[in-house]
Amino acid sequence: MTKIHADIDALKGLHEAMVRFRHVQRSVAERGNDEIELTRAALTAKAGHWQARLEQSQAEFDACRAGPGADCSGYARAVEQAGEQLEHIRGWQQRVDEAAGEFRGTAGAFWDLLQNDLPRAESHLLALIADLEAARRAS
Amino acid sequence: MIHTRPDRDGQEQLGLLGAAWEEAVPYWQDEVARQFDTGHWTPLVQRSTTYLEALGALVDLLETADRDTDF
Repeated sequence: MTKIHADIDALKGLHEAMVRFRHVQRSVAERGNDEIELTRAALTAKAGHWQARLEQSQAEFDACRAGPGADCSGYARAVEQAGEQLEHIRGWQQRVDEAAGEFRGTAGAFWDLLQNDLPRAESHLLALIADLEAARRAS
Repeated sequence: MIHTRPDRDGQEQLGLLGAAWEEAVPYWQDEVARQFDTGHWTPLVQRSTTYLEALGALVDLLETADRDTDF
């Protein structure tokens, strides 16, 4: 009798932990997707900022060159720097897109686990607990 | 507000679930337990671990992307 009590309590504890696990991991998975979108949005905003800087620098450089005999090297440097920053950000955008694409398969399998396999395991465990409780009542 | 990484919260929860399993196992040593282990528990832990490691690597990359583009 004592052993069956212990079995049931331990299995109930495991079942509760599985339910909690499913809820928390769903939130984890959603936050994981949010992190990807936040980073993408931040990179897009940074790329927009440097694109505007590049266009402004280019316009200033062009205006300088239109004048007679001015030293435009500072403007040229500004154009070059803005272009490099923009290129650097675009490189990161590509890396993030590739990594997010590779991650999508693993994330999909995990979501399927949380939506289908884990509830099945929880139901199986609940049925085992019900059997044990029935056996305890009968004994 | 403290910002925690989702992969770390997930790993912590996987640890808590593992502890619940370790508590149950000593009292549950029959054929049904072995089937539950093979059919449910082991795949659950393996797939969760794979996901959380992949998420951790991705979050590392996202954080680096953010830092490396802050000019």
